Amino acid sequence: MKLDPSFIWTAFVQLWSAVPTTLLITLVSVLVGFVIGTITALSRIYRIPVLSQLSGAYVTFIRGTPMLTHLLLIYFGLPMIVDGLSAQLDLGWNSAKIPMIGFAYISFSITAGAYLSEVIRSGLLAVERGQMEAAWSIGMTTPQALRRIVFPQALAASLPNLSNSVIGMLHASTLAFTVSVVDLNAKAQIVASTNWKFFEAYIAAALIFWGLTIFIERITGFIERRINVYSKGGVA
Amino acid sequence: MIKLSGIRKSFGRNEVLQGIDLTVNKGEVVAILGPSGSGKTTLLRCINYLEKPSDGEIQIGDFSLDFKHAGKKDIYALRQHSAMVFQQYNLFSHKTALENVIEGLIVVKKIGKEEARKRGIELLEKVGLGAKLDAYPSQLSGGQQQRVGIARALALEPEVLLFDEPTSALDPELVGEVLAVIRRIAKEGITMIIVTHEMSFAQDVANHVVFMDGGVIVEEGNPAELFGNPKEERTKQFLKRFTSEYSYSI
Repeated sequence: MKLDPSFIWTAFVQLWSAVPTTLLITLVSVLVGFVIGTITALSRIYRIPVLSQLSGAYVTFIRGTPMLTHLLLIYFGLPMIVDGLSAQLDLGWNSAKIPMIGFAYISFSITAGAYLSEVIRSGLLAVERGQMEAAWSIGMTTPQALRRIVFPQALAASLPNLSNSVIGMLHASTLAFTVSVVDLNAKAQIVASTNWKFFEAYIAAALIFWGLTIFIERITGFIERRINVYSKGGVA
Repeated sequence: MIKLSGIRKSFGRNEVLQGIDLTVNKGEVVAILGPSGSGKTTLLRCINYLEKPSDGEIQIGDFSLDFKHAGKKDIYALRQHSAMVFQQYNLFSHKTALENVIEGLIVVKKIGKEEARKRGIELLEKVGLGAKLDAYPSQLSGGQQQRVGIARALALEPEVLLFDEPTSALDPELVGEVLAVIRRIAKEGITMIIVTHEMSFAQDVANHVVFMDGGVIVEEGNPAELFGNPKEERTKQFLKRFTSEYSYSI
């Protein structure tokens, strides 16, 4: 077998059609995961009864099991729940109507939520307690203090880890092909097997993934510079 | 007028405040002295509800609160009557000096941005930082940061300003500039309670000095009385080093 360099370009062009799917899976799972992660991190830090225990269990279970397993559990478990509920409450739902990508969205959001929970928790813990006290002292309520004082600083502190997680989710989104979602990697497989040129197709896929990753690094680098203006005099 | 009665606070089994009664008149500058662990900082933090007292009552002006039955609303209301200047400054590190000062005006007092900015600039000029409006805390020296902290507390026009060892994190060269600002504000007739280790400053600025040890007020009185002729043995012992130093320097 000989490498066909020109086919790398051909594959490259064909693969572009799958880029939106890959980006969409990453974006949805990171955004939903961020919301889940914020809620779980806050409830653990502030030791909210019941919620904090549930959050702790969620984080250890999800981080203790592979992402592919989450996807398969959702893929096989969710239809049972949906159909069962529908039959019991007469809702007229049908699990067959759930689009394949929906399973990826749900399960990857759950995965990302657990990892982001720890990223956000570390960011929140990096903000000194004195910041909260100062906010209280000038008469702010706890929600105001969290929103205006603690969160912006926590976000800045967790940005490097956050960008790591986004890149991790981008690459892990390739698992979606197991539930027949045509993401970038799945598309490469299709292009490869129809043309019988596997190495070339995967090289093209790798280049696109690398490019997307550099793009994410650039964006977070930019945000980091913007957000960290105030710390340029060193750690205050 | 501020009136504290029967303030108690325990950390675990350790009762750090064992029933404190203290009255501060309007316009008075009160200095609280005492060794580390005597409960003076805890007492100050209770006034701002940064510590939750286990028992006692507080009255600031016509607002009064029984700490045993304090709800969320009462706590927020109590905090609006006082403002704290912290030992570690605790400036909002992602906000500029001016933003630090006007944050409370905008968020809590709901004053318009333009108006708040104008007031903020006035206050920063008053503490000698008119040229540092847009500097972030990390770009300021400790003394400058603490002066922003004072401006931030002043902005809210609280009935009482609370100072928690405002100069003990500063290096000796910067202590003077902060004390000078506090002294100037004291002259304007703002009620202040200052926890401090700066004895000569307390003697000089305060109208009323309180000596605490072991969670109780051992002795209080006007500075001439307390420094010149302390009655309690514990007070004499505590002030000995300071007064002997003082007599040498004459």
